[in-house]
This record gives sequence, structure tokens and C-alpha cells, in this order.
Amino acid sequence: MKILIADDSRVMRQIVIRTLRQAGYDDHDIVEAEDGADALAKVGSEKPDLVLSDWNMPNMSGIECLEAMRASGSAVPFGFVTSEGSPEMREKAANAGALFLIAKPFTEDTFREHLDGVIA
Amino acid sequence: MSTIDTGARRRTTDPRPVITDLIDGDTILSIAGDAWISLVGEDEVLVPLPGPLPGDILSSWVDVVGPWTGSVVLTTARATAEELSRALLRESAPEVLDDEDVADAFGEIANVVGGSVKAALPGPSALSLPQVGNAPLVRNPGDVCRVDVVWRGEPLTISVQGALPPLPVPSPTRENEVSL
Repeated sequence: MKILIADDSRVMRQIVIRTLRQAGYDDHDIVEAEDGADALAKVGSEKPDLVLSDWNMPNMSGIECLEAMRASGSAVPFGFVTSEGSPEMREKAANAGALFLIAKPFTEDTFREHLDGVIA
Repeated sequence: MSTIDTGARRRTTDPRPVITDLIDGDTILSIAGDAWISLVGEDEVLVPLPGPLPGDILSSWVDVVGPWTGSVVLTTARATAEELSRALLRESAPEVLDDEDVADAFGEIANVVGGSVKAALPGPSALSLPQVGNAPLVRNPGDVCRVDVVWRGEPLTISVQGALPPLPVPSPTRENEVSL
């Protein structure tokens, strides 16, 4: 399975990758994107099976990336990993077609809770 | 008979709340503690103790804009910010950290703490991207909730501070003036 991780923070991308490994999802191809625009381009070029994306990013936010993906017909499963964990943000994410929203700070248990059944 | 001021009167009548009406130090400490465990490590604890900050300090912060507008600011010694960055990067930390690595890691901690503080405040609010440098000035000392902690023996402060100057206090004598 190929997982695209979008976050403008390099250290946060590494923490997400590390937490995936700790949660037991350690046998997957990882592709990184540094903002929403990069993620959108890589959804087209890298054909990931799952996108894990931050919300607030320069150039294009995570929600704009998700909306652009859905508008172009892409149905790739998409989940947020973001510091935006308020109820209104969760509602916005769900309305835009996100499968889940993992709020930072997270643990490997939070990852398992949301990703079991999503990552094969 | 004594009257306990719960802040309810201010909340219902004032045009805008101050941060101490909305969140307390224990909640900020709990939010920061969770962020440390998740990002820095399971055994990393923040001890609520005041300690003098050295001269060479660095801050990271995010802005919250909404019913309450202000910043969530972390401040510590530059050397401690670098140690925190190494702790986040773990085995992928380079031998020599550059300013960009520290800005990225220290800024991300402010982002995670700020996001949780934002979620505890009345919404809807917007959260800015993190910034690193000299902290924004305190505009209203009455609109600050600050927590002093020690991490690995080094002092660090978390300040949730309003961005707006205090509202003018109406003067009772002027209120009673009659224009001629």
C-alpha cells in the first residue's frame, strides 16, 4: 500500500511516519508532500492508496486539497492529521469527504483506532 | 456575606472576554503535557515550576483569531529549543542543527499546543501557521494566562496572551455628565 503524507513541517512528517511504524503499519511505501498543492500533484503522479494530510499549510490547505481531489473525480481515501481538532473542523472535514480526523497530539493507539480497516 | 466572583457576570456583559475567563493554568499545563508525551517522548514530563529564563531566548507561537484573539507562545532558552528539536527529530536529527530545523520543530510544538488551546476556547476561531522568533508583545496584562514549567531541568514558559489592548474603562463621573 502506498501512503502519501502531506505536512509543511518536515519533523511532523517524520513523527507521522514513526507513529505509523509504531502502530504496526510498517510495511508500506511512503510518499511525502510539503503542502496541499504538492499533495494534489502527487495524488496524480504517485497514485497513493491513502492520503494523510495536515490542515493548515501554505500554498494550499489540506481541506482545499481534498476538495480539489473530489472535484477532479479522485476517490482516494483521505484522512486529516492536524492540530485542528474542534467539533466544527471535524464536521467540515467529514462534509468534504474525509474518512477521519486524527487530532495532534496523537499516540500510536489513536492511529490504530482510526486506521484499522483503512490500511490493509 | 461574601460574594464569589465566578466571572459569569463579565462573560455575559463584556463585549469581549479575557483569557482567564475562558481557560486556566491547569488546563494549559495538561494540554502541554499531552503534546510533550506525543511529540517529545512518553517519559518526557513538564514540571510546573517557575525558573528564570536566560538572556538568549527563542519563542514559537501560533495566533488564534475568533471570539478571543491572541497568541499561544512558548518561550525558552535557544539551547533548550535546540534540545527540544533534537528530541523531536530523534534518530533523524542531523549532527549540526540549522535554524530551519529548530524553527520547524519548535514551531510545530507551538502549533500542537495552540491547536488544543484553540479547541478549548469558544469558536469558531482560525489558527495561524506557527512562527518562531521574538514573541509578540503583551498588549493587555489582564488578558494573559501564563504557565511556567521546567523540562529536563530547563525553564520554559507557555503564555496564552490576548492581542488586543485593554478596553477603556468608563469613568462614572463622565457617564453622569450632561451635555450642555
